[in-house]
Amino acid sequence: METVFISKLKPFLEEISKKSDLYIPVKKAEHWTFNRYNPDEIDEVEFNSIRTCLPVKEFSFPPRELAAAFPEPLEAKQIKPFAVFGLKECDLHSIEILDKVFYEGEFQDPFYIARREKMFIISGDCTQAGQSCFCNLFGGKGFADLGFDLNVSKIKDGFIITEGSQKGKRFIGDNPDLFADAPDTLLAQRDENRARVKKELEEKNADLKFTSKISEIIQGSQDSDVFDIEAQNCIECQACTRVCPTCHCFYLYDTKKPDYFAKMKMWDSCMRMAYAGVAGGANPRKVLGDRIKHRLLHKFVYFLERYGIDMCVGCGRCVDADAGGIDIREVLKKLDEEKKQKKTNQAEIAK
Amino acid sequence: MKNNPYQPLNAEIVDIIDESALIKTFVVTPDETFRFRTGQFVELTLPGEGEAPFTPSSSPADTEKMEFTIMKAGSVTSLLHNCDKGQKVGIRGPFGNGYPLDDFAGKDVYIVGGGVGLAPIRSLFLSLLDRIKDFNSVVCRFGAKTPKDFIYKDSLFGPWQKLDGVDMKLTADEADSNWEYNVGLVTNILSEDDVDIKNAVVVVCGPPIMMKFVTFQLVEFGFPDSAIYLSMEKNMSCGIGKCGHCMIGKYYVCKDGPVFTYDQIKAYPNIWD
Ligand code: SF4
Ligand code: FES
Repeated sequence: METVFISKLKPFLEEISKKSDLYIPVKKAEHWTFNRYNPDEIDEVEFNSIRTCLPVKEFSFPPRELAAAFPEPLEAKQIKPFAVFGLKECDLHSIEILDKVFYEGEFQDPFYIARREKMFIISGDCTQAGQSCFCNLFGGKGFADLGFDLNVSKIKDGFIITEGSQKGKRFIGDNPDLFADAPDTLLAQRDENRARVKKELEEKNADLKFTSKISEIIQGSQDSDVFDIEAQNCIECQACTRVCPTCHCFYLYDTKKPDYFAKMKMWDSCMRMAYAGVAGGANPRKVLGDRIKHRLLHKFVYFLERYGIDMCVGCGRCVDADAGGIDIREVLKKLDEEKKQKKTNQAEIAK
Repeated sequence: MKNNPYQPLNAEIVDIIDESALIKTFVVTPDETFRFRTGQFVELTLPGEGEAPFTPSSSPADTEKMEFTIMKAGSVTSLLHNCDKGQKVGIRGPFGNGYPLDDFAGKDVYIVGGGVGLAPIRSLFLSLLDRIKDFNSVVCRFGAKTPKDFIYKDSLFGPWQKLDGVDMKLTADEADSNWEYNVGLVTNILSEDDVDIKNAVVVVCGPPIMMKFVTFQLVEFGFPDSAIYLSMEKNMSCGIGKCGHCMIGKYYVCKDGPVFTYDQIKAYPNIWD
């Protein structure tokens, strides 16, 4: 993979924005969000230290979109190429997860795919471990090895750019004036930063060490009270599923437009009471604790069985967003603790 | 747009048959030939109002028109019940697995149905009749609340009673003075001797509570869990294994079902709710 050096972000991003819409991270209070890039509005683009607070799924799986029309079917929508700067390793990991859902199997989602294929991904190394980050539990380390077109690493006096795809390579090749060589001394700086952030992550989550695999912890704790206890704090705001970059529940609803009938596709949440209810009144998850449990079973057991990866990237967005104070890390800890306890009890009974 | 799984095929309701107080059969003709396997389901859209999943009750051999027997239960079904002939609708699908008829060959096929659960069963039954020689026997045990609540009365009380190779028993929870069949729950007319348990498959379809008690009884009779085929009704939206609504454990009912063997799903919580 080729690496090059730039001293400032703006000329680089400006070049990108000439060819496509570009979204960049901006800081709002203590959080990062994405904004449409407008070169006239800003002097320099900020480099986000950690992931944004809203999930990247919005770019390929918008909260609401038109999915079908009657009586005349929809024309294929022309999606313009667009670029997003500032995605982190966990975001790329979440894209990998959603790709499995929307690309794989007998049916594909043409809307997701149309956007996904027009998305130019410019990721960036994390420069610190965020408050609620625990991606290291899922193999995260604060920088990405793949899944990007270009990756940006911040170093002392500039940035290292790494190509990750043919598209990325072409961009570097087409713009020789933008880039300088990246000598080994600068690469060493980048590697130092990476090692520092990785260590920070590990230290921060040192007490998040489990005795069993997460899938086994959840699988083995189906009769635990923890879910119902957590439910007492949950106010069913559904924020956890909205901000989660891997949650992808949606529902289709029909509506009337002035000159046609529409079928809309809209985000849904498995935390909603009526989510699994049927017209006859049956509902397998009437109880809130059962819904919280199902969410974790889906993320760490069912999804893993079907697709071979966990449906969580440890980004901590749900921890930040949770109005009721449910902390997925603490829930996992409690369940693991219970499991350990059960084992010891059984061992003692066996004696 | 080609290959948009959310786009329904335009169709029209061409006939409506009253089955019981709350149940009607809608005859629907799609704009294009529509093929499905018996037991698969489709999403039926009432444009501008909503859509809901139904398993056609007609034979898959008819690719020009389909029938849906629908109970008035929620908002979409209530609106459908108010529709007249000529109503434009949409159909998406077919989705799911359907009944594995080839696996049933050479066996006793034991069919237990209740209430509106006879709708998917009718399609299965018609498919079995088309190749009745392939099966050792077809044994039906159907129930409904009262004689009036039976759907497909003309077939059930008439020609279906006298079919070669078919053993049919009916029961009503509560009878009236004209009722000439059994009285009581469907579980009362099941017997260990109905079929050769070692060489049989059972298909169960009906309200959740009925499916639950029938399944328990079949297990008690000694049917292996893997020979009990259940048509699961769950909340469905996308029909294509993406939206998450229909999950039973790791399974998507819309994709891996709606027909499951009991051993596939029995370990998961609340499957009957
Ligand atoms: S469950 Fe929470 S930590 Fe995991 S990916 Fe979703 S928002 Fe991030
Ligand atoms: S109905 Fe959407 S996943 Fe099954």
